[in-house]
Amino acid sequence: MVGISTDIIYAAAMDSELVPPGLTYLADNIISRQNILGVTKEQSARWAQNLDLPRQAETIFFAGCGYQFSAQLEILMSLARGIDKSVIGAELPMRFARFQKKLGLNLPGIYSSVLSRGSETEVKPLEAAVNVLRNLGIQPGYLAEEEPCCGAPLNHAGLQTKFADNARQAYDKLKSFGVKQVIGIVPYCTHAISSLFPLYVDGYDLEVRHFLEVVAEKIPSYKLRFPRKVKVTYHDPCQLVRYMSLVEEPRRILGAIEGIELVEPDWTRGEWATCCGGGGGFETVFPELSQVLAVNRASELLETGAEIIVTHCPGCIMQLKDGLRELKIDGVEVLDLSQVVATAMET
Amino acid sequence: MKKTSNFKSYKKEIMEAAHDDRLRLALSRAVKSFRSNVKNALEKFPHTVDMAEEVRQIKEGAITRMEELARQAIAAIEENKGKGYIARTVDEALEIIADLTGTKKLVVKGKTMTGEEIGLREYLEEKGNEVYETDLGEFIIQKMGSRPMHILSPSIHVPREDVARLFSKIMGQEIAPDSDIADLVAAAREYLRDKFFHADVGISGANVVAAETGTLFIIENEGNIRLATGAPPVHIALVGMEKLVPALSDAYKVSEVTWRYANYTIPSYVSLVSGPSKTGDIEKVITYGAHGPREFHVIFLDGGRTRLARYPKLAQALYCLRCGGCLYECPIFAVTAGHFGDKYFAGIGAVWAAIINEDIEKAASIAYTCLTCGRCRQRCPMKIDVPEMIIELRKLLAEGDSADARN
Repeated sequence: MVGISTDIIYAAAMDSELVPPGLTYLADNIISRQNILGVTKEQSARWAQNLDLPRQAETIFFAGCGYQFSAQLEILMSLARGIDKSVIGAELPMRFARFQKKLGLNLPGIYSSVLSRGSETEVKPLEAAVNVLRNLGIQPGYLAEEEPCCGAPLNHAGLQTKFADNARQAYDKLKSFGVKQVIGIVPYCTHAISSLFPLYVDGYDLEVRHFLEVVAEKIPSYKLRFPRKVKVTYHDPCQLVRYMSLVEEPRRILGAIEGIELVEPDWTRGEWATCCGGGGGFETVFPELSQVLAVNRASELLETGAEIIVTHCPGCIMQLKDGLRELKIDGVEVLDLSQVVATAMET
Repeated sequence: MKKTSNFKSYKKEIMEAAHDDRLRLALSRAVKSFRSNVKNALEKFPHTVDMAEEVRQIKEGAITRMEELARQAIAAIEENKGKGYIARTVDEALEIIADLTGTKKLVVKGKTMTGEEIGLREYLEEKGNEVYETDLGEFIIQKMGSRPMHILSPSIHVPREDVARLFSKIMGQEIAPDSDIADLVAAAREYLRDKFFHADVGISGANVVAAETGTLFIIENEGNIRLATGAPPVHIALVGMEKLVPALSDAYKVSEVTWRYANYTIPSYVSLVSGPSKTGDIEKVITYGAHGPREFHVIFLDGGRTRLARYPKLAQALYCLRCGGCLYECPIFAVTAGHFGDKYFAGIGAVWAAIINEDIEKAASIAYTCLTCGRCRQRCPMKIDVPEMIIELRKLLAEGDSADARN
């Protein structure tokens, strides 16, 4: 116990066994394919196919991984949770990458079959966000399959050297397309590009704003109305509220929409919001525990009596939906803030 | 090293806890009342928030000179006719205390997390002593053969019916499972009462120590520490070096902020102890050992603290006042209690596990369990940035420790 030198940290880490395999899986995908799932370039950027977003622009919309791959992530998580709860044991999800082969899973195949279904009628958060920006008079570009990965999970896993390398490459890539301003939407990506990149990139001069900031600033001059009268609660994603201090913005936006009544939990709101149990790949390391936390957070939000849970993070959306499913709650929706605003602009 | 098997059993342990409905119920009640108590305490004494900022500065200064403050405190304690020691390692601390205690002695203990850290009770028992925990929660834990699940409320996970069953067994009298909590408290009081007065040695920790006078500040509500440190002829205190601050006035501020964020407007007792008991009432001749202890020993434990102080991003773990507030805000602690932790709990516990206890596998397990959601940072009176420490620790774990991580 005592008297071992700190050199042991060094020795033990060399075989990388201390980083949970769930996180190394994400890390390997980022390094090899520039997205967290390791899907092909053709599979990314599909969401924007019909939007005609220019490739070259000073201000770009940064889509990130989370929203784009939410359908695939849901499959991955439900598989991981199934395994985690089964008798096969605690270790499996930790070594997901290796075991998917053992179990005969063909994840890329499963992903593309989900994608080809493409049956969703609802407007997805990314498309909604672009529509909102356009309605506000902003015409952003989008790098599509050239969009670099922010690499945030590398940082989160403790692989700072790889994160730093990735950050420099990603930054150079953005600069090579002439990007000056970035409008981010995934909390993790936006925080990484705005606050972590500068730690590793010399002469960093990107201007990064989150979608929420842009919308909150412009919204007072627009008339917005939700199609029906609803009680809505808002779940603050950790990164937005405690890392980027975006507390008032979402409330100002929701408050500006006629027909929406905002109802919030007594204590666990704003800076005190409870984590949904996702975040930074935690769900890949502790799939089952992560679900317990999702149920807890969903329960806290349900106590408000809201019919719609609004949040603004792909991870939180997935978690809260799963929490509601576990609680067998019908009739409560989980929507992204961008979807709510887009809907309120249409009516 | 069998890292995966270690993680496996750890994961099994926290998942069992997460599925324990009784644990969940006990914790959710505790969280609710803690939050409203802290809110009340801070509304009643709003200056505490500014004082916390002042205390952070005091701690920042003190942590860089722990060694010097320890020597200053020892000099002051010895001037007061007590005795002071610096223990470099856990083994050294155990040895000093075991030598002072001897064997076949009756020992009464107040709650000390530092004591838990070094396994003090178990060690003294191995040496043939009879040791009684006198803090009610700690007493319950000791008798259950369990370990603390919270730094302030060690038995936070045990419902009253279980306590009644336990007390019936150890006290040899039937205590009904539906007894009032007051009856349970009375039973513990009666059981422990004469132990205080027959004890050879009383052991305590301290919440903060003023180096200029060597004064220990001990915050409590039960009154067990006053008895344990007042009645026996010998008082031994074990204190982590990070608890030292320069002046008496600094120590007072640390104390007030600690109890306020620990959800008390004011605790029942704050004891200031600077030396052995003495009297000069007969012919002005100072004689030691009046009604209180004749001997007073203070052991300052380094045990990795000076090493931790050299890591710029991790040293803030040493600012911790142990108010326990962060634990009530941690979403994982809310379902697992102290199973998410080591000697110290939740995210900050990973830093202690890695650098203080040098248990790397345990540290990795805790570090990768932390959500880095940051609500603990929001609560912390010292604004300790646990997510920042966790990311830094993961970096050390994943990429290796190197000299540039330290000062």
